[in-house]
Amino acid sequence: MVDSKHQWKAWIYLSPAIVLLLIFTVWPIINTVRIAFLEGYNALEAAYGVQFQFGLGNFIKVLQYSDFMTCLKNTMLLTVLTVPISTILALLIAVALNSIKPLQKFLQTIFFLPYVTNSIAIGMVFAAMFNIIGLSPDGMRAESWGIINNVIMFFGGEPVNWINAQSSYAANIAVMTIYIVWNALPFKILILLGGLQSINKQYYEAARVDGTPRWRVLTRITVPLLSPMLVYVVITSFIGGFKEYSSIVGIFGEKMGPVGADLKLNTMVGYIYEALPEMNYGVASAAALVLFGIILVVTLINLQVSKKRVHF
Amino acid sequence: MAKKKDSVVMHERDLQQVSAQQRVMQGVVKAFTYLFLGVMALIVLFPFYWMIISSLKDLAEYRLNVPTLWPQKMVFYNYVEAFETADLAQLFLNTAYVGIVSTILSLVITVLSAFAFARLEFKGKDAMFAALLATMMIPGELFTITNYATINEFGWMKTFTVLIVPFLVSVFYIYLLRQNFMQVPNELYLAAKVDGCGDLKYLWKVMIPLAMPTLISITILKMMGAWNSYVWPRLVANDDAHRLITNGLRNAFTTTTGDVNYPVQMAAVAIVSAPLFLVFLFLRKYIMQGVSRSGIKG
Amino acid sequence: MKKIVAMLLVVATLLGVCLMSGCNKQNTVLTQDFVIPEGGYDGSKVTINFYHTMGEPLRAVLDAFIVEFNKLYPNITVAHEQVGGYEDVRDQIKTELTVGNQPNIAYCYPDHVALYNVARAVVTLDDLIASNIEITREDGTKEVLGLTAEQKADFIEGYYEEGKEFGDGKMYTLPFSKSTEVLYYNKTFFEEHELKVPTTWDEMEAVCAQIKAIDENCIPLGYDSESNWFITMCEQLGSDYTSATGEHYQFNNDANKQFVKRFREWYQKEYVTTQEIYGAYTSGLFTATTGQRSYMSIGSSAGAKHQRPKANDQGEYPFEVGITTIPQVNPDTPKVISQGPSVCIFKDENPQEVIASWLFVKFLTTNVNFQAAFADASGYVPVLKSVAQHPTYADKMSKADGYDNIAYLSAKVCMEQAHAYYTSPAFNGSAKARDEVGSLIQAAFIGDASAGLDALIDKVFQDAINNCKK
Repeated sequence: MVDSKHQWKAWIYLSPAIVLLLIFTVWPIINTVRIAFLEGYNALEAAYGVQFQFGLGNFIKVLQYSDFMTCLKNTMLLTVLTVPISTILALLIAVALNSIKPLQKFLQTIFFLPYVTNSIAIGMVFAAMFNIIGLSPDGMRAESWGIINNVIMFFGGEPVNWINAQSSYAANIAVMTIYIVWNALPFKILILLGGLQSINKQYYEAARVDGTPRWRVLTRITVPLLSPMLVYVVITSFIGGFKEYSSIVGIFGEKMGPVGADLKLNTMVGYIYEALPEMNYGVASAAALVLFGIILVVTLINLQVSKKRVHF
Repeated sequence: MAKKKDSVVMHERDLQQVSAQQRVMQGVVKAFTYLFLGVMALIVLFPFYWMIISSLKDLAEYRLNVPTLWPQKMVFYNYVEAFETADLAQLFLNTAYVGIVSTILSLVITVLSAFAFARLEFKGKDAMFAALLATMMIPGELFTITNYATINEFGWMKTFTVLIVPFLVSVFYIYLLRQNFMQVPNELYLAAKVDGCGDLKYLWKVMIPLAMPTLISITILKMMGAWNSYVWPRLVANDDAHRLITNGLRNAFTTTTGDVNYPVQMAAVAIVSAPLFLVFLFLRKYIMQGVSRSGIKG
Repeated sequence: MKKIVAMLLVVATLLGVCLMSGCNKQNTVLTQDFVIPEGGYDGSKVTINFYHTMGEPLRAVLDAFIVEFNKLYPNITVAHEQVGGYEDVRDQIKTELTVGNQPNIAYCYPDHVALYNVARAVVTLDDLIASNIEITREDGTKEVLGLTAEQKADFIEGYYEEGKEFGDGKMYTLPFSKSTEVLYYNKTFFEEHELKVPTTWDEMEAVCAQIKAIDENCIPLGYDSESNWFITMCEQLGSDYTSATGEHYQFNNDANKQFVKRFREWYQKEYVTTQEIYGAYTSGLFTATTGQRSYMSIGSSAGAKHQRPKANDQGEYPFEVGITTIPQVNPDTPKVISQGPSVCIFKDENPQEVIASWLFVKFLTTNVNFQAAFADASGYVPVLKSVAQHPTYADKMSKADGYDNIAYLSAKVCMEQAHAYYTSPAFNGSAKARDEVGSLIQAAFIGDASAGLDALIDKVFQDAINNCKK
């Protein structure tokens, strides 16, 4: 198959991408690696002309960081929770949208709206929905329990302290999961809907003729035929999940935790960004490489698993 | 039809019963589908609704202790303020220019790269692809100072080039399109080769039409990117001639005290979103139209 | 196999690059201290860049005074730009500094300057201030390059001193426009119930108890910023907070633990709440006319309009707002925080740009007309004492009331407490200390004291120190 003509042709097709990536992505990555090995590198000190020692100091600092495990745990937990939930939900919505006739256009438009909704607005809505206003020191009374708690209380439940002072870790994670899934949905629906369009209708017609139950059609036809797109969605959202940061800021602010418990929900990227305001790129770069290692391992496992399942 | 042949022994009445049952089942499934979509739609819609009503509240109402679900008094002044604080025509032009040029160039690069990865065989393909994926795994903010220095070396500060070129390549989209291209059976390509059809012609006549829904998705995402980006544009080209819409409008709602005037911000966001929404309405039919699928194996 | 080869290639490149790490660009301008060129400004054509956060109405004021400035110095072009908020200005400049693209002048907070000075990028102003060089202006008049004794004396002292809080005694910034914290109170309610407006924290505690007796469901006092509260208490008590030199973080001491413990008790009795703990704007609590409300609110003087209740359709307000100095430990020596932007000047290859920047900064900060106009447009406090006598400004101040002209009332109170302003030491990390003591108060207020109150207080102080040093 591999003839020399194809060789250079492939490289020509790839050349614009490669050139740009070399300049604007690979070079910064190389620089990141270099800086990671320069102990205590600070970009402003560097501008002044300070020279830095070559060594592993930044990595040691990262691994010795007392909250490193907290960041890792939060990142892992959120990724493991949100990737399957959002993917399955997006798949169901996309399949449902694809299967209906009346109102299809209308509903599609609605599912697109979150896209043109500013992420700040989405964050504020969540804060408003879960926020308890004026919770008394004993936690028994409040001026407003928030929309979600009002619904819970309407059905006779006990209000939950979701994100306010002294809220529980489980409640925080629950809110974050809902928020991240919500944020991720429109993109995934868009991709999967596009993918569904590429599936040959003949398969469905055959299934209909055979009287195959819907559930089996979904698991035996739709999912396998959609597998390239599903794998894409899963792999990219795992990578995105490990880089989770801005959604936490959206709900809890830059303190990365409920009032009185700063950094309780800090993530790996949150830790990396902590060093950036003061331009401490050395530690930030080292942390980014540690994170890179983790994502790489997970992605390799993902790719290995999916290789056996993808149906091209 | 196949079923009927198998069950010739079945009584005619039983058959009728089965199909009636099926119809009921179908109705239930349909109802459930709509219910599910309806509920999800409401959930998804809520932030958008919130954005719109917030943009119509006055600041005093917005700052009320217990938020109101409907503005006590509609205030359209926020929109006026968002409009007035910025030279909107110039901002729109700048953004549209950057958005359109970068989307077109980006599509070309993405299609060529995805084609190479999906269809062509060359040495080091797997390694190359793995390396590409790996670049997604480092938080982009770390690249900022290096890219800033590069841009400075190139003398690209305060130009449209700096807003367009650095982010033309998206591994994210190359990967997406490659997945799509992979679904087109290789036999088609080989057949085209036999017919003397060149790569580019094949790409243009067969691959691109087949991957249209994905290409439209990429177009939408890329346009959105130009519309929403602000950190990089502010850093490298924040002068009047090149300022993009989000930065222009951000200044409208950042007050001198450093506070954010949220109602004006929401109004600004709504203004920014409107053209995107129209673009989507326009392109939607291409996503859902379903191109001729006969060629696709999957 | 292919992958391994590729990997090896990458590693080899990296090693090569690491060896070349000397390719670090050095910003040579930064290593030299600025020296005033002989003769000062030589009249050459220069363009100076000014980064700020001013919205449209303020830019209009600035533009008008740039015209005035250009009548004196036609060859100095001032290009100015609203970068965004304060932190946006900081983030922009710190990146630009890495390649030497920094502006000439910028709005700044002390911790920003400390950050820029990691690269020693900010010009020290002492030589400029002391300079006797005479410069002839376009209209034929002369001015001394430095500050005259009268000009220096006209600055509100606390604001001026902020420029020297960097531990080396040198002056890095000039105040531009300022704000502080004031106590807003529901004057109608206080008069109706014959309550005394508190001047000390002891009186505050007493009045909270009285108010609680009148309106059981209320939270008498709302405090916007926990950080300001902590830092101001340190200043009022004379206890340690931070130091610009030596060991930076010194707030872990008994005096501070005492007041935190005391205020925790207030919180538990529902005398006080803060914006973040309450979960909504404290100004919203203060301006509320139904449900839970507060009758006093400590917040920024620049946010006076937010502390005014909503008027009805006839333009009548449900209650009158009174404004006064925040409670003190010792009302004879009051201390109130100083906030708001200063301006700093950056080093540049061309010394004339630095001189021109200085002339412009001096023009804005010592110009009574500009300070009056800017204060009026922004709701900020002018940095010059003599603005109080400025005809239009004085006229506006005379109209101050607790309704429509609440912004003037706030400004008036600020001007009257001119002797009370303090600033805290600035160093790279001072912003972190500020955030941490705010979080400390939150954690202390809501923390679980079942293992003993002292244990809780010790823990939150220790945590804050640890986080600062991280």
